Amino acid sequence: MRFLPLLLGAFFSLILSLSVQAEEHKPLRVVSVGGALTEIVYALQADAYLVGVDTTSLYPEAATKLPQVGYQRQLSAEGVLSLKPDLVLVTEEAGPPAVLEQIQAAGIQLVKLPSEYSAEGVMMKIQGVADALHKPAEGKQLSDAFMADLAAVQARLAHTEQPKVVFLLSMGKGSPMAAGRATAAHAMIGLAGGQNAFADTHTGYKPVSTEAMIAANPDLLLVSKDTLTSLGGIDKALNAIPGLKLTKAGKHRRIVTMEGLHLLGFGPRLPQAAAELATLFHTQSN
Amino acid sequence: MLSTEHVSLTIRDKTLLKDLSLTIKPGEVLAVLGPNGAGKSTLLKLLSAELKPSQGQITLNAKPLTAWTKAEQARLRAVLPQSSRLSFPFSAEEVVMMGRIPYRHSHTHNQNRQAVHAALQIAHVEHLAQRLFTSLSGGEQQRVQLARVLAQLWQVDSEQARYLLLDEPTSALDLAHQHHVLGLAQHLAKTWNLGVLTVLHDLNLAALYADQIAILKEGQLQTYGEPQTSLAPSHIQQAFAVEVEVMPYPLQVNRPLVITQRPNFNQFTTLTL
Amino acid sequence: MNKRSQGLLISLVLLLLVMTILALGIGAVEIPAAQVLRILAQQLGWPMANPPDAGQITVLVEIRAPRVALGILVGAGLAITGATIQGLFRNPLADPGLIGISSGAALAAVSVIVLGATVFQGLSSALGAYTLPLAAFIGSLLVTGLVYRLAKLEGRTDIATMLLAGIAINALLGAATGLLTYAANDTQLRTLTFWLMGSLGSATWTQVLTTLPLILLPVLVLPWFAPALNAVLLGEAEAGHLGFNLERIKQVLIVLVALIVGTAVALTGVIGFVGLVVPHLLRLAFGPDHRLLLPASALLGASLLLVADLIARTVVNPAELPIGIITALIGGPFFLWLLNRYRHRSF
Repeated sequence: MRFLPLLLGAFFSLILSLSVQAEEHKPLRVVSVGGALTEIVYALQADAYLVGVDTTSLYPEAATKLPQVGYQRQLSAEGVLSLKPDLVLVTEEAGPPAVLEQIQAAGIQLVKLPSEYSAEGVMMKIQGVADALHKPAEGKQLSDAFMADLAAVQARLAHTEQPKVVFLLSMGKGSPMAAGRATAAHAMIGLAGGQNAFADTHTGYKPVSTEAMIAANPDLLLVSKDTLTSLGGIDKALNAIPGLKLTKAGKHRRIVTMEGLHLLGFGPRLPQAAAELATLFHTQSN
Repeated sequence: MLSTEHVSLTIRDKTLLKDLSLTIKPGEVLAVLGPNGAGKSTLLKLLSAELKPSQGQITLNAKPLTAWTKAEQARLRAVLPQSSRLSFPFSAEEVVMMGRIPYRHSHTHNQNRQAVHAALQIAHVEHLAQRLFTSLSGGEQQRVQLARVLAQLWQVDSEQARYLLLDEPTSALDLAHQHHVLGLAQHLAKTWNLGVLTVLHDLNLAALYADQIAILKEGQLQTYGEPQTSLAPSHIQQAFAVEVEVMPYPLQVNRPLVITQRPNFNQFTTLTL
Repeated sequence: MNKRSQGLLISLVLLLLVMTILALGIGAVEIPAAQVLRILAQQLGWPMANPPDAGQITVLVEIRAPRVALGILVGAGLAITGATIQGLFRNPLADPGLIGISSGAALAAVSVIVLGATVFQGLSSALGAYTLPLAAFIGSLLVTGLVYRLAKLEGRTDIATMLLAGIAINALLGAATGLLTYAANDTQLRTLTFWLMGSLGSATWTQVLTTLPLILLPVLVLPWFAPALNAVLLGEAEAGHLGFNLERIKQVLIVLVALIVGTAVALTGVIGFVGLVVPHLLRLAFGPDHRLLLPASALLGASLLLVADLIARTVVNPAELPIGIITALIGGPFFLWLLNRYRHRSF
């Protein structure tokens, strides 16, 4: 029996040394704010670390089962802290700023990633997330695959025609707003081999008049599935949007829809989204 | 004394009062009569410092009214409005207590409560004290307001003469209370040495209770003097354009009784025929 | 002040104390009551053998406490403001939100946020943390004065005119705010969303402490005007007969009200209905005497906003709702009930 303490001691020191070793790879507790970032965490196979996501994290489906920290622009400092995260991933869209400061002040690592609407932007997100999760190798692999896929899509589109596309965003009330420059839709139309019909008129989302719509004369109308539903389907949309009927898109009933987050998410599935959109463009415009 | 000296008031080229001189003496009741639009309410507003005269001046106890602060004036002069627009649920007692606001720093709470109780008693509204003011009838509200202005002048240690201005105090009251209010005004004028001014429409109430009567017409003082002289038929006919007879009041020495003739409509009926 | 009034004020102080402790103790991060007391004691310099958990200290001291302090300030300010303008306007339905005072403050603040970098640059750099409260103060001052002038009829403000003026001004300011959002960039738009919803979520100690006097001083000064406001309820002329220089008092009150609402909006955005609900409940139970109503409104308003914020930050835990939604959910039906009540009989 005299051995017992010794044995126990040895046992515990073994466990202790193991746990010290584990310290370096201690499972992180991560809150991911932003649909693209959450997708990247899953793509890096680090989803076991996730303890919370925001309302824009709808893909993959499993992410929606995690605790919700709310809308990314209306975060609650204490709500996020209650999940006891070691790391909070956000994009530049997250806020309010004071809440982000409070989270940092509580000693939590906050990694803020750019929300640029470009392939480079996605690369920066992948790299940033991978670094924060200590998975540089997986990050490299993911971004290489991403670049290769995107290059393949671009190569395929290099010599196709460029249809003029207008993207409309329904704001719930009032007339739908058309995407100008510096929008996710603008970038996405370009990546899918189209050109934004309102690229020269404005930046951001602005309501457009009947005459502006006729003057732009788009070949295609692109809306998210939700927007089309809220407009009441293709027939109603053709009537509801001022001037649309008098454009090529209206005359030939060319309306293309995609799931909103997939279309505008600018996450790791960007090449697929661009390829799908390009296919929709070209099947419709022929 | 509270007096107007050659007071005129012109607002936007409209002359409301012209060269008006009259005096409210402590211990006396002055009744102001006159047809609608004669300037009675305007006079009351000038005396209560709501309006400033364009010409002339108003003096209160030998000093210009403007030389007294608002707070000092409130301790020397109370005004009973014609009607009340109070729409918040105060009890009658709380309304009367507001009459003691000018004394909230100078008197103890108990002294002020005593004043309120005395005022409730002499205005015959003690039984209404705990009722909500908004639930009272028009006449009851008027009497509670009277209690409030009496509480405002209830001040035994005053050396200065005090004044009570009443704007048609009988308008909402039944017969008994009309006489109660004016009798009370007359009584307090004597016992508290108050100077009372009351705007009235009923010539006979004025004849019974006033020591002085002023009749206004079109902003000017038309007649001013004791009831017997001021209520002469010619004065009344001139001011009110009615035919009257005046006779001595039965059983009241030196008080006239005014009897109004029915108006004659024959001129109109012949016109239409 | 009688025993009943004293009793009420003491109960309200105790209620606020309880609500403060609850608001400090409840939240997404669990901190047991005993631990709250230990952290508070430790913060006050009480020596402690094994100090409390650092994470809990941060949450309690840096996040929850300033938020609770802000809630107390803004709640007290909005409620006492409601009671004051209801008295001043002689109109029980006046509320800083309904008649556009808050919108005026919000529009001015939004203008500074959006145009701040260009138009008001010199101003912003000179005034620092006080730029937004000052702009919001000016905005609310202008609207208060304007509504008062528009709605005043024979010495009192007419309820219908006042509410209609409020609707018009709210619409006008809403349009102007909408117009400004065209000039706003993305970051500014995010800030604007915060404004229009109202939230205590951004409270920090620096912010609370720099703006504390702008609300606290008016709240402490206003009860001093209680006798004047009581007299005003009799009528403006009557208040004059009772010895008050009403023109002067009105100016001072409007400035104090604008100071509170402007600062509150600058700190938390538009939080409606507190100024309507609180004085009303108190008036129904304890009568309209401002000597009791004003301090009681401040105390109950603080408690009410703490409860509303507690709901806002716990009901969808770990996310949170804008507090304006909670107060509107409580206040909207209450307002309709009041309207119905006043339609059938006088106040």
